[in-house]
Amino acid sequence: MLDGRKQQILSELVNGSDRDELVWINGYISAIIHKQEVPVAVESVTVNTSPQKITLVYGTETGNSKRVATELAAKAKKNNLLVKLASLDQYRLTDITREENLFVVISTQGDGEPPVAAQKFYDHIHRNGFRLDQTRFSVLALGDTSYPMFCKTGEEVDEQLEKLGAKRIVPIRKCDVDYEPDAEAWFSEVLRSLNEQPVAKPAGIKIQPQAEAKSNKKIYTGTVVGHVNLHDTGSSKETWHIELLADEVDYLPGDSIGVVPQNPLALVNQIIELTGISNDKKSRFKEADHTVSDLLQNRLAIVYLHERIIKKYSSIVQQDIPEIKMDLLNLLQLYPVKDAAQFEEVLQVLPAQSPRIYTIASSPSAHNGEIHLTVEKDVFAVNEETKAGLCSDYLGGLSVDQTIEFFVQKNKRFRLPAPDKNVLMIGPGTGIAAFRSFISERDATGAKGKNWLFFGEEHFVSDFLYQTEIQDWYQTGVLNKVSLAFSKDQAEEIFVYDRMKEKGDEIFDWIRSGAYIYVCGQKAPMSVHVENELLSILEVHGELTKENAKKYFEQMKQEGRYSKDVY
Amino acid sequence: MSDKSAIEKIKEASVHLRGTLKESLKDELTGAIREDDQAVIKFHGMYQQDDRDRREERAEKKLERLYSFMIRLRLPGGFLTPEQWIAVYDIAGEHSTGVIKITSRQTLQLHGIIKSDIKPTIKAFSEAKLDSIATCGDINRNVLCSSHPKQSPIHEEVFGYADKISQLLMPKTKAYYEIWLDEEILVDKKEEEDPLYQERYLPRKFKIAIAIPPNNDVDVFANDIGLIAVIENDVLKGFNIAIGGGLSSTHGNPETYPRLATVIGFADSEEKTLKAVYEIATIQRDYGNRADRKLARLKYTLDKYGVEWFVKELETRTGFSLEPAKEFVFNSRKDFFGWDTNADGLFYYTAFVENGRILDDQNTKLKSALLAIAKTGKANFRFTCNQNVIISDVLPGAKDAIDDILTEYGINGHTENTSVIRKNSMACVAFPTCPLALAEAQRYLPSLIDKIELLLGKYSLSEEEIIIRMTGCPNGCARSYAAEIGFVGTAYGKYNMHIGGDRIGERLNKIYKENIGEEEILQSLDGLFNIYSSQKQTSETFGDFSLRQKWVTI
Ligand code: SRM
Ligand SMILES: Cc1cc2nc3c(=O)[nH]c(=O)nc-3n(C[C@H](O)[C@H](O)[C@H](O)COP(=O)(O)OP(=O)(O)OC[C@H]3O[C@@H](n4cnc5c(N)ncnc54)[C@H](O)[C@@H]3O)c2cc1C
Ligand SMILES: Cc1cc2nc3c(=O)[nH]c(=O)nc-3n(C[C@H](O)[C@H](O)[C@H](O)COP(=O)(O)O)c2cc1C
Ligand code: SF4
Repeated sequence: MLDGRKQQILSELVNGSDRDELVWINGYISAIIHKQEVPVAVESVTVNTSPQKITLVYGTETGNSKRVATELAAKAKKNNLLVKLASLDQYRLTDITREENLFVVISTQGDGEPPVAAQKFYDHIHRNGFRLDQTRFSVLALGDTSYPMFCKTGEEVDEQLEKLGAKRIVPIRKCDVDYEPDAEAWFSEVLRSLNEQPVAKPAGIKIQPQAEAKSNKKIYTGTVVGHVNLHDTGSSKETWHIELLADEVDYLPGDSIGVVPQNPLALVNQIIELTGISNDKKSRFKEADHTVSDLLQNRLAIVYLHERIIKKYSSIVQQDIPEIKMDLLNLLQLYPVKDAAQFEEVLQVLPAQSPRIYTIASSPSAHNGEIHLTVEKDVFAVNEETKAGLCSDYLGGLSVDQTIEFFVQKNKRFRLPAPDKNVLMIGPGTGIAAFRSFISERDATGAKGKNWLFFGEEHFVSDFLYQTEIQDWYQTGVLNKVSLAFSKDQAEEIFVYDRMKEKGDEIFDWIRSGAYIYVCGQKAPMSVHVENELLSILEVHGELTKENAKKYFEQMKQEGRYSKDVY
Repeated sequence: MSDKSAIEKIKEASVHLRGTLKESLKDELTGAIREDDQAVIKFHGMYQQDDRDRREERAEKKLERLYSFMIRLRLPGGFLTPEQWIAVYDIAGEHSTGVIKITSRQTLQLHGIIKSDIKPTIKAFSEAKLDSIATCGDINRNVLCSSHPKQSPIHEEVFGYADKISQLLMPKTKAYYEIWLDEEILVDKKEEEDPLYQERYLPRKFKIAIAIPPNNDVDVFANDIGLIAVIENDVLKGFNIAIGGGLSSTHGNPETYPRLATVIGFADSEEKTLKAVYEIATIQRDYGNRADRKLARLKYTLDKYGVEWFVKELETRTGFSLEPAKEFVFNSRKDFFGWDTNADGLFYYTAFVENGRILDDQNTKLKSALLAIAKTGKANFRFTCNQNVIISDVLPGAKDAIDDILTEYGINGHTENTSVIRKNSMACVAFPTCPLALAEAQRYLPSLIDKIELLLGKYSLSEEEIIIRMTGCPNGCARSYAAEIGFVGTAYGKYNMHIGGDRIGERLNKIYKENIGEEEILQSLDGLFNIYSSQKQTSETFGDFSLRQKWVTI
């Protein structure tokens, strides 16, 4: 059953292990098979007396890696190791050459890019010029199988550290969104191998139990039953309220969905024509055959391709091409493939289409059997030509009775508090989506806590998203307060955080009486300003020093009283 | 039915027309104001409206109705200085749809002012010494006066009465200044005590017009009080007083009907005239129906208690009795277009404004023309009850300059080339702003006239000064009941066709055909014009002929 190489690795592993170890490996493997908690046997592993130093660094965007790393650090201490825990943006890069044991927990963002906080570290280790010969390391990669570049960053860090001469004492482990069990298992391995002196396994051996992790996400099909642009004529924007009929979708307010956009048919046909490939020609993709036109329209990314891909393309067509993001069509026009066969090679290197995430704007209790979205058409200019984002344009172009496929992206960090808690929601623009879900849910379930909404857009008359619903919630008392900022209705621009400043004392009263604060929508500059404003409110109205305000704010985050869903 | 309509309660609770307007203005969630305040704000000369063309679409978009406000200026006798015209022009551009509407009661309206722009608008008006106090609501409205300086050498003297009466019947409340102009809150409430309106104001709107025979351009008999100037060899002797005019009716409510005012006598001095006017208002205040607004106008009070009783009551209240009415003769109800001079040799030019809508279109740039004229500072502006404008009080030396502007912007060309029938026609606002509209009016009449012109041409009747008026509902804002041919909207695209009214506004028309669309309208007119052209006696008006033919019976 196993191929020769795996066979060999396994027997090596088995032979090199005593009984206890075999017992543990047994439990460990079955844990993976049954996706259950890993046996804690490892905790009782006898550790040798001289405490070892380990450095545990994490690169996080939305906090998962931090959470994991912190738990693991605690566990390490229990196993009396001396632990240095640091976020990669705090970590002094020059220290790295001195590390004996370096363990990296890092997630992947964007389409296969490192979290912002890890960028410096990422660049540093790619800049070679130094060796890590006496460093032992292992990487825990957080990711999401619904993305084509699954755990890309983790992989790159893992390879790079090895290149620099560090010894991999435990193979990289790639985690899907339910990362806890894998993280546990990985760290148990780490603890184990730390206790083996000297390093048991020669570096370079990879055991990847879940190397090609399959997406464990359920794919739903939704039928468009409602589709309307919420802006009135004369607005500069397009934001689509989309209602999808989809039964038994398992989600909670705060969750998002992922959608894989379709490439425009016209573009696909253009490409097929240009390359002379026959559109019903079959080609392989993720262990299955698909027609070329299916691949190009539904499965592969063909616009704004990553530099990585450009590189691969150029080596296929044997022409040198500047490494800048480009559309497949332009590539084919400027640097043609020599024939259909060569184009098939290109198909093999094209990345799978990334899903785009959209916050769910409906609530399970209020909108039974439906998923609602609030999708703003992403418009941008590329040298004078205005273009539209692929997925938002695709969703905006849907019409009633069409169907789309999607999966649910759980967001455990963005949940309504207990029904009796007060909630302060800051959601300008499409940020309103999460709060339409929150408020509908609290309305439908009769939650007693108070609700305060901050919303902002450009113009009152044309851009007041969900105005009539918000009015109804206010009149029926579900919404206790609504604060609005329409930036372009007066000479000087006014934004939600300006309104927050005006209401600072009241906001602080809410915070002091235990209110939960949520921010949804644009990451920058919106959420940054909002966060700064909250800090200054704590300073001014809470009469705290800068430091204490920060502490207070951190405290709120720890207690889950400040959460954001920003992008 | 309770003894007081809802509006009555709102008025009394409003603390002299303040209501909760200030709170309504603060509410960021909506472009509307509170229900009760919508009644109160009328007394300040404004109406909450919404664009009815956009209702369905906005509802789908989860946006509330496109609310905005219409503001109506108080212009006794319909007079503006050039400086004031420039102000109106700027305000319209900044805060409204840009179209300046001349109303059938010779004042101006701006539409589409959003809630947050109301205060800036009123402030700007007030800087130009203009206000909108009491141009709507259950109170005396804008006072009309024949606008044609040519009418009489003492036109100015008569004209002066419009302002006097307007002042006499002004409410005492300072709410307007407090709410819109941020003047500090009145402490001594005594200053606001209002012997005329008290806390309840009138049961219904109250309208006054002054006519200078022989032209009845103001439609004097359509008003609650009509004053007919009696002038003997260029001396103002006094006024015949007519009361109980009102045109509105309600479809399917036989208790409601249009009525022309009844002449009850003559007052021979300013003092008596003003006193009589004042006390007629107090009688209506005390005896008008406050339970059913459909029956609340003075005309119903008069018919309920009888003219005799009313005149007696008036005598006891004024302490004098009116003299028997003096002879008077009306022979027209129109505007005299083009250049003319008044007694003092001042020139004035009457320009045709279709349905009173002042704007720039391809060939006639009326809005720009009037601005250019205003900027010369050499002419005043007067508005007529037929929704036209008179560029007036032009010194002989300035006439050519003004005329050049009129030519440059294609105004006099437009006025001269417009057919007689179109010049004598009038339509109300109706869609999209009027909430009561059942059918189109000012947006539709022009195209209907195009077709009627052809019919008239066909029977060589093009020079007949037939008066055609259209309203989008039975309220009769363009006085469609007082027309030779009246169209009263019944449903979208459908109208009751009325004929038989006279040319001078002393006889109302009657329904000839009910609820008909354009095709049937044109068919009917074709038939009628055919007979009219062949059988009319010389100088027999279409209205009189319709009656003689018994097409309708009065
Ligand atoms: C602008 C104007 C028509 C025009 O195109 O010129 C007009 C427009 C409206 N009239 Fe009028 N009326 C206008 C002259 C008239 C006239 C003609 C006259 O007074 O010479 C009449 C018939 C005479 C009479 O009063 O009987 C008239 C009888 C009404 C009525 C019926 C009153 C009644 O006794 O039942 C209403 C409805 C109401 O008051 O309930 C009304 C109500 C309205 C409103 C305010 C609708 C509303 O109540 O919300 C209309 C606003 C439409 C808009 O968007 O501008 N309007 N209205 C005229 C403004 C006059 C002014 O400057 O004050
Ligand atoms: C957790 C989360 C929740 C979200 N919730 C929502 C939501 O509720 N509503 C919502 O509207 N969005 C939401 N988003 C954003 C959404 O996922 C998409 O990012 C957004 O719709 C843009 O995707 P797109 O395919 O339309 O644009 P893309 O085609 O992916 O383009 C995105 C950007 O890439 C650049 N780009 C793309 N093509 C080119 C080119 N040819 N040349 C130059 N530059 C180019 C442009 O800067 C463009 O703005 C959310 C995102 C996240 C992460
Ligand atoms: C905008 C966005 C892009 C992402 N892109 C990828 C990706 O390309 N590959 C991947 O494996 N995971 C991707 N993920 C999933 C995250 O890595 C995953 O949610 C992880 O748990 C986040 O960990 P963190 O909170 O420490 O950043 C993406 C998530 C988001 C919100
Ligand atoms: S007549 Fe009717 S439709 Fe026309 S303006 Fe008056 S109320 Fe509106």
